[in-house]
Amino acid sequence: MFHSEPMPSIEHSRRPGNPQHDQHRPTVLELRNVSCIYGMDRPAITDISFAALEGEIICLLGPSGCGKTTTLRAIAGFEPVTGGEIHLEGRLVSAPGHLIPTEQRRIGMVFQEYALFPHLRVQDNVAFGLQKLSTDERATQVRLMLEMVGLTDLAARYPHELSGGQQQRVALARALVQKPAVLLLDEPFSNLDPDMAGKMREDLHDLLRRTKTTAILVTHDHDEAFAMADRIAVLNNGRLEQLDTPEAIYHTPSTPFVADFVGQADFIPGTIERGKVVTEIGEFPHQPDYRGGATVVVMIRPDDVHIALLAQSTTHILARQFHGSENLYTIGLPSGRVVHSSEPSTTVYPVGTPVELQVNATHTVLFEQHLRT
Amino acid sequence: MNQAAAIKPALPDSLSLVALTVAGLLCLPLAYVTYMALTADAAIWSRLWTTRIPELLFNTTALALGVAAGTLLLGVSLAWLVARRDFPGQPLWEWALVLPLTIPSYVLAYIYSHLLGASGPIESAWQILAGPDSHLPSPHSYAGAALVMTLNTFPFVYLLARAAFLNLNVSYEEVARACGVSRAGTLFRVTLPLMRPAIVAGLSLVVLYVVSDFGAVSLLRYQTLTYAVYQQITGRYDPTAASILSLLLVIVALIFLITERWFRQQSRFFQTTGRYRARARRQCSPLGALFASVYTIGVFAASFGVPALLLVQWSVSAVSSGAVDARFFGFVWNSAFLSGLAATCAVLIGLPLAYLASRRPSRLNLLCLQAAYAGYVLPGPVGALALLVIFSHLAPFWYGTAAVLVIAYVVHFLPAGLQSMEPALQQVTPNLEEASRSLGFGTAATLRRVTLPLVRSGFIAAWVLMFLQSMKELPATLLLRPVGFDTLAVRVWLEASEEYYQLAAPSALLIVIMTIPAILLLISKDWRAA
Amino acid sequence: MNQYRFHYFGLAALFIVLATGTMPDAAEPDRLVVYSGRAERLIKPLLDSFQAKTGIHVDLLSSGTTEVVNRLQAEGSRTPADVLITNDAGSLERARELRLLSPSATPNSVAAIPAQFRAADNSWIGLSGRFWIVVYNTTLVKPADLRSLLDLAEPRWKDKIAIPNAGSEYLQAGVSVIKAVYGDDRTKQFLEGIKANAGTQVYGKSSQIVEAVAKGQAALGIVNHYYVYRHLATQPGAPIAVLMPDQHEGGMGAIINVAGIGIVARTTRTDAARRLVDYLTSEEGQKQFADLNKEYPLHSRVAADSSLPPYKTTRVAPVPLTRLGELREPAMMLIEQAGLR
Repeated sequence: MFHSEPMPSIEHSRRPGNPQHDQHRPTVLELRNVSCIYGMDRPAITDISFAALEGEIICLLGPSGCGKTTTLRAIAGFEPVTGGEIHLEGRLVSAPGHLIPTEQRRIGMVFQEYALFPHLRVQDNVAFGLQKLSTDERATQVRLMLEMVGLTDLAARYPHELSGGQQQRVALARALVQKPAVLLLDEPFSNLDPDMAGKMREDLHDLLRRTKTTAILVTHDHDEAFAMADRIAVLNNGRLEQLDTPEAIYHTPSTPFVADFVGQADFIPGTIERGKVVTEIGEFPHQPDYRGGATVVVMIRPDDVHIALLAQSTTHILARQFHGSENLYTIGLPSGRVVHSSEPSTTVYPVGTPVELQVNATHTVLFEQHLRT
Repeated sequence: MNQAAAIKPALPDSLSLVALTVAGLLCLPLAYVTYMALTADAAIWSRLWTTRIPELLFNTTALALGVAAGTLLLGVSLAWLVARRDFPGQPLWEWALVLPLTIPSYVLAYIYSHLLGASGPIESAWQILAGPDSHLPSPHSYAGAALVMTLNTFPFVYLLARAAFLNLNVSYEEVARACGVSRAGTLFRVTLPLMRPAIVAGLSLVVLYVVSDFGAVSLLRYQTLTYAVYQQITGRYDPTAASILSLLLVIVALIFLITERWFRQQSRFFQTTGRYRARARRQCSPLGALFASVYTIGVFAASFGVPALLLVQWSVSAVSSGAVDARFFGFVWNSAFLSGLAATCAVLIGLPLAYLASRRPSRLNLLCLQAAYAGYVLPGPVGALALLVIFSHLAPFWYGTAAVLVIAYVVHFLPAGLQSMEPALQQVTPNLEEASRSLGFGTAATLRRVTLPLVRSGFIAAWVLMFLQSMKELPATLLLRPVGFDTLAVRVWLEASEEYYQLAAPSALLIVIMTIPAILLLISKDWRAA
Repeated sequence: MNQYRFHYFGLAALFIVLATGTMPDAAEPDRLVVYSGRAERLIKPLLDSFQAKTGIHVDLLSSGTTEVVNRLQAEGSRTPADVLITNDAGSLERARELRLLSPSATPNSVAAIPAQFRAADNSWIGLSGRFWIVVYNTTLVKPADLRSLLDLAEPRWKDKIAIPNAGSEYLQAGVSVIKAVYGDDRTKQFLEGIKANAGTQVYGKSSQIVEAVAKGQAALGIVNHYYVYRHLATQPGAPIAVLMPDQHEGGMGAIINVAGIGIVARTTRTDAARRLVDYLTSEEGQKQFADLNKEYPLHSRVAADSSLPPYKTTRVAPVPLTRLGELREPAMMLIEQAGLR
C-alpha cells in the first residue's frame, strides 16, 4: 500500500547561478541579533540575524505584522534598533544609540505604492537623487537607466499618466540609478494585477541579475518569494523561523509555521515504533532525534500524496478544487482527519469516490506532537 | 424601467434647480455693482483713474502679497514645528496656535495701535533704552497693516499646512532619503512641493481675507480698495464711485481666484495620502527646543496672548466701572444667533453647489460653483448696499430684517466654507456611492447614509469657519443690522471708533470667548480625520 | 430627497420667522425708530430720559451721518425710521432735498431755536452747535503763531498738522464754507497745502487727531471743539488748547455746524416724533446737550459750558447752514481733486 524510496538530498540542490555559496563574494549586508522593540502599536522584531552576499536576492517572507517590514525599515535606517547591529558594506550603520542616516547608507528603496513624486516628471523622478552629478552626466545616467527599464518614451510624462507597471519601473529606475549597495523592496508587486505581477517578477529578476544588485524583498506571498529569491527568510512574530533556499523552505521546513505558510500541508499524528514513524496513512522513515514511543506529527504536501480508486476503501473523496494545472482533492480518512492530494488536471473523480492513498514518503518532516494540535 | 433608474434622473433635476437658483441669487449683488459701475459717468471713471486707482491697486496688491509672504513663513514653519518636532509644550501649541483666528482684525488693529503707537508701551520701553527722542515706526503704515493682518490670518495657513504635514504619506520622504537626499533637502524638494495644494488653499483664504478686510486697514489708516469703497459709501451720497472701485476689486480678486483654480487643476493628481503611517515626532536638541519654544511663544504672544490679556484687563476695568448692563446679553444672543444661522444656511446652500461641481462637473454646474465665489470678493459694504437696494425693490417684506443680514453673511462667507466643503466631497469616490446604490439605496439615501457621514468633518470645518467670520463681520453688519439688533461686533466698533477702548473691550473679549469653542471644534480629532 | 426638501423648506420658514420677528411693528403708536448719525453715547441718554418721561419706546440705530442718510434714501418708502438725527447740517439739507423729511417744526421748537439753525421750511431743526477749530500742542505752538485756518496750508507747518480724512462730514462742511467765502482756487490751494503738510497724519476720527496733538506727533490739528474738552476731561494735564481761528478783523469767522433733527416724511407716528422734537429743543433737553458733550445749546435761554469760548463774542463765518447741502457736492469734488484721502 505504501512505498517509500530514498530521495536525493534536497539540501544540496542549487539553482543555476545561485551565488549563495560563492565564498569569495563579499558580504554586503549583515544583521547581527537585531531587535527593534517599540510601542505596542508597531510590530517588533527580536534577535534577527542574516547576511546577504553581493548580488544575492533575499526575500523576507511572513504574514502581516510579522516584522518583515520593520526589518526592512531598520536596514533602511528609518527605524533605530534597540539591540544588535546592522552592517552595510562593512560599516556599522545601526546599533543601539547609533544610527547612520538613511541618506548616507547607499540604499535604494521601492515602496509598495511606489511613492513616485507626483510633482516631478519621470525623468526628474529618476534624476532625483543625482544632484551631485553634473547636468550632462545626470542626463546620461537617467537616459541609460530609462533604456534599461524600457521607459525612454515616457520620460517626460507625469506619474499619474503611467500605468501601474510603468510606475513600478520608474520607482525601480529611481532606486537603481543610485547604484545602491542594497536595494530594498517593500511588497513591490502587491499593487499589480496577477498577470502583470508575473511579468514584472521576471523583468525585475532579470534586471537585478544584470545589474548584480543585492536586494532584500519583503513579501507575504510565498510564490513570489519562490520565484525571486536566492534565499528566503521566513519571519513569524518578530522572529526568524528559517533562512534557507526556496526548495529547502518548501520541502524541509524547520517549523510547522514555515511548513504551513509556504504551501498547502497536512499534519498527521504518528508514533515512533521500530525505527519507523507509524501513522494512519502509513509508515515513514524515522529521524534520529526522536526516541522510540514518542508521539510526533508528520508533514505531508499534497504533491506527495496520490490517490487510486479502491472500491472497498473507507477513505473517500470529500471535495475537488480545479486549479487549471492540477486538481486538488480533499480526502476524508476513516479517523475523520483530512489530507489533500494533488492530481493531474485531467484526472477527475467525483466526490464520494472511495480511494486509497499512495504516499511518496521520501523526505519525512517530523514535528513534536505538542507543536501542532 | 426599474425603480433605481426611475429615481436617478429625478434628483439631479431638482438639485440642479436648487443650485442654479442659489447661484443666481448669490450673483445678484455682484451683478448690481457691475451694472452700477458700467453705467457710471465716464467723468467719474477718469477722475478716479487720475486720483485714486493706481495708488489703491498698488496698496491692495502690496498688502496681499506681504501678508501672503508673512503667513506662508509663519504658518508653514509653525505647522512643521508642531507636526514634526517634539519640544516642551508642543501638544499645547498645536491647538493654541489656532486661537488668533478668534480675534477680529479690527480688534487686533486697535490693540496694535495702542501698543505700537506714539507713547504706547512699546515705544516707551524703547525710549528707556534708546533715549527719549527716539521713535519707532508708526503702526499706521504698510508695515503695521501687514504685521497685524499677518498675525491675524497665519492660522489659516498653519491649520492646512499642519493637516498636510500630518496626512502626508511618509513614503515620499523616505524614498527621498533613500535617494541620498538629506532631511532639509527632502523638506524643500519633496515635502513642501507636495504640500503645495494645502498651502495654496490656505494662502487663498488669507489673500481673500486681506483683500476684503475693512476693519484693520481702516484703523491703521492704510488705503486699500475695500477701505476706499467703505469711505466712498459712508462719506458720499453717490455710490457710483464705490461701485467702480468695487468692480476693480472684484477683477483683482477674480484674477487671483482664476490663478488659484488653475493651480489646483495642475496639482489635482497629487496623491499625497496613502498607506498612512503616523510619523514619530523627532525630539529636539535642548538648543532646538529652546529656539522652538521662544519662536512659538513669541508668535502666540504677539497674535493672541498679549491682545487677549489687554482685552481682559480693559474689560475688568470696564465692568468694574459698571459699563456692562443687561443689554449686553442681548448683543451676545444676537451675535451667536445670526452667525450660527448664517453658517447653517451657508452649509445647506453650499452642499448642492459643491456636490454637483465635483460629481457632475458640467459647464453649468461648475459655473454655479464659481458664482458662489462671487460674494467673497465683493467687499462687505458694497454687498450690503447692493442687498439693501435689491431687497427694497424685490422683496420689501424681508427688507430691514435680520434675514437680509444673514443673506449678506452667506453671500460673503460661503466661499470660505466651500473651500473646505469641496475637497471633502472630492475625497468621496463615486465607487462608494455606487456600492451603496447597489445595496438598494436610492440617491437620496446614499447621500444621507454614505456621502454625508464621509464629508461630515469637512462640513463641520466649513460651518465653523463661516460661523467665526460671520461673528466678526463688521461693515455689512453696520449697514444692514435691523433697528435695535446690534451685535457684539457692532458694539466693539461703536465704542472703539470713539476711542473708548475700555468700553469696547468686553464685547471684543466676548467675541473671542464665543469663538473659542468653535475653534476647538475645528482642531478636534474628528476634524483631523478629514 | 424628501429629507433635503424638508431642510430647504425649513430654512425658508425660518427666514420668514426671522423676517417677521425682527420687523419693527408699524402699528404700535408708542414707539419711535430713530436713525442717528451721532455717536450712541451722545444721544442715547437723551432718548432714555425722553422714554422715561413720555413712555414712548425708542429704538435707536446709530451709525455714520452719511450712512444713515444713504440708508434712509435706499429704504425709500419702506423705511422703518420715524426720526433722523445727524451731526451735520449739510446732510440734513441733503435729506430735505431728497424729500426724505417732512416739516418738523413744532410751535415750541420754532420758538426755542433761532431761525439760522433751522431749515428754511423747517424740515430740520438744529439741536446743538459745534465749531470747527484748531487744536494745538501748547508746548510746540504759541496761539499767536496762527490766525486763520487757511494758514495751516503754509509750508512752515510741513509734517506738523493732523487732518481728518475726506469722508469726514466736518471736513466736507468746513471746505464748503471756505469755498463759499474764498472761491474755488483759494480753497484748492488750502486743500493741497494741508494735504502736503499732513503727510501720513490723516485720521478717520477727530479723537485721534486730538490724541496725536496731545502726544506731540502733530503740533496742530483741525477738529470740532468738544473733542478737545473731552480729551482734557479724561487727561486734565494734556498740553492742548483750543484756538478759535479767523477771529481777526476782516477774517472769515469760525466755521459752525449743527447737529439737528428731522421727522421722516414716511412716518405714521408724527405725534410721537413731534414730541421728541419738542423734548430735545426744550430747556431740559438742550441742557443735556450742553452737559453731555460741551456743545453749544441752541436754545436762547440755555447757557453753554462756561469753559467754552462764549458764542456771543465769537465771529462766525457768514455762510448759512442751509447752504451746506448745495455746497456739499462741489466741495467734495475739490477735496477729491486735491487728492485728499
